[in-house]
Amino acid sequence: MSFAHEFGQLTVDGLTIGSLYAVIALGYTLVYGVLTLINFAHSEVFMLGAFGGLFAARALLPAGGATPSGLTSVALVTVGLGAGAASGGLAAFALERGAYRPLRRRGAPRLAYLISAIGASLFAANLAGKEFGRQSVPVPDLFTNGTVGRVLGAAVSVQTVIIFGVAVVMLVVVDRVVAVTRLGQAIRATAQDADTARLMGVDVERVIVATFVLGGLLAGAGGFLYAMTFNASYTMGFVPGVKAFTAAVLGGIGNVRGAVVGGLLLGLVESYGGYVFQASYRDVIAFLVLVGVLLVRPSGLLGEHRRRAA
Amino acid sequence: MAAGAAGLLAIALTVGACGGGSSGSGRPEYIIGFQGPLSGDSSQLGINAINGLRTAVDRANTSGGLPFTLRLVQTDDQGTPEQGPTAAQKLIDNSGVIAVIGPIFSGATKASEPLYSQAKLLSVSPSATNPQLTSLGFGTFFRVIAPDTVQGTAAADYVAKALKAKKVFSLDDKSEYGTGLSTVLKKELAAQGVNVVSDGINPTKDYTSEATKIISEQPDVIFYSGYYGEFALLTKALRAKGFTGAIMSGDGSNDDQFVTQAGAASAEGAYLTCPCGDANSDPKAAGFVADFKRVNNGTRPGTYSGEAYDATNAVIEVLRKLGPGASREAVVRAFSSVDFEGVTKRIVFQPNGEVAGSTVYVYRIRAGKREVLGTTAELMKA
Repeated sequence: MSFAHEFGQLTVDGLTIGSLYAVIALGYTLVYGVLTLINFAHSEVFMLGAFGGLFAARALLPAGGATPSGLTSVALVTVGLGAGAASGGLAAFALERGAYRPLRRRGAPRLAYLISAIGASLFAANLAGKEFGRQSVPVPDLFTNGTVGRVLGAAVSVQTVIIFGVAVVMLVVVDRVVAVTRLGQAIRATAQDADTARLMGVDVERVIVATFVLGGLLAGAGGFLYAMTFNASYTMGFVPGVKAFTAAVLGGIGNVRGAVVGGLLLGLVESYGGYVFQASYRDVIAFLVLVGVLLVRPSGLLGEHRRRAA
Repeated sequence: MAAGAAGLLAIALTVGACGGGSSGSGRPEYIIGFQGPLSGDSSQLGINAINGLRTAVDRANTSGGLPFTLRLVQTDDQGTPEQGPTAAQKLIDNSGVIAVIGPIFSGATKASEPLYSQAKLLSVSPSATNPQLTSLGFGTFFRVIAPDTVQGTAAADYVAKALKAKKVFSLDDKSEYGTGLSTVLKKELAAQGVNVVSDGINPTKDYTSEATKIISEQPDVIFYSGYYGEFALLTKALRAKGFTGAIMSGDGSNDDQFVTQAGAASAEGAYLTCPCGDANSDPKAAGFVADFKRVNNGTRPGTYSGEAYDATNAVIEVLRKLGPGASREAVVRAFSSVDFEGVTKRIVFQPNGEVAGSTVYVYRIRAGKREVLGTTAELMKA
């Protein structure tokens, strides 16, 4: 069968995984905006969110029971998302408190943040491995995953609708939060010039915490969505973390809409590339695109908007 | 799983403590090494095996009939060729280690055996099934499981004759084990006149585009040659896209973890082949199953548990005959002529270290449980 024949299906799949990359990428980009810091432990926030959501879903759903349907399914997915977001937010808060704030207080050099991030990442992953086991753990079936309809000739499953739908809602909400709310204004002010923002009465420390938590909420909910398809494990954060970071750079780090464009584009490229070439070249193609884009546009597709976080 | 890991640790500590106590009583001590994946995505197979080993060691130590005590030392190679040599070297450097059970995976075995050969240290794998392994001149390598030439051929015959497939999609994980199995499978399918399409994909999490590719070929059967962690995700991806053909894999996927990780709904109806029977449903193995549960906190034997138990008992049998103080070299020599009635099979080796005889079983997932359908030979007749 030809690529043209499967084009619709590959597009749907690519946008689905891409929307998840975008959700995680926002966490990188928001934190980079206010701190000029790549938070490499963000992938572990994502992982902890996945486990949080998974455990909540499991607690409410007795093992071995029938697959729920209708409103029960909706409620369970909502609870899972909520618990995932809460765990992610909490993890991001703890991360900021434990790994970054002490360094900021002491005016540590840039490199110290990087080492601290890697350390926190290894610690969180291995702690999860010890506590939750080294095997992959699935999210229990919260709904019967059938095909709901066809778009461009592609079968769209319930799961695809949930992942893509939730991701899009989150992306729009974050875009609006940053653009119109007082918190968003404070985040943008801090990103433009932290010192001046402080002089203007912005509580910069609070803004930093809020930015971390906002990124954590997104990553946590994203982690739960990801685990519905790919299972949760203590090492699950690494690959999507790297991909989301790539997406953020691709779109222009620090730029909220750039992260969204970068995530969706990366998802599509991977999906097409994995089909046209051997599936094992999926990641190779994704990173070739990154290198290609950065050669032509070093500040990413939509430009690095550090001075205007949105 | 957290409880499982903690339990494992607790047992390791207890075993250590017992060993120390016994050597205090004056009897000399032999150490049996274990090399296999104890962490990582497909570690359950390693855990199954070490639990079998532990059962055999515990039985031997408590039987009281031995002129020596046994102790278990484990190394974790995560099932990868990269970690294999380091793990093997750890056991080789421990002068008390008289024989090794493992490695578990074929890739790690191929990478580790040159070291064992050089050190003249016996290594008995309960599970490494890549056909090449016994033809590479490793003088100290033995395995108590039939190679994939046997499994691949039997699986292909079953697909062609019992499932009557016209078109098969063969996918492997590009590992030593996966390519070995898929090569044999494809050859036999072609010989049976079945149309075969094939692809290889390194272990990953995202099988969505591969699933699209497979479904667009419209095969009757998809056979995955690889381990359960990836097979579970592949199965999930295929079923999510509405694939209705038969989904099948080999011994590397033959574990209850496959059902757990794919989810009972997706795993339903999947076939698994294995040159290994299920001890839990074999009345002759009832004693082993009871011992196994006692030693391992009530866990049931899994894939390769019985093979590891047999391999260990065969080694113990040889040590018993040699008595205390035997050299590593003497153990290898004596092991090549062992004749031991195990719970999984009678263990007699061909000169190349291949175990004689071979039966391949077909398993199927029904109502979330792995069930033995029978041997391929029986099923093709029916």
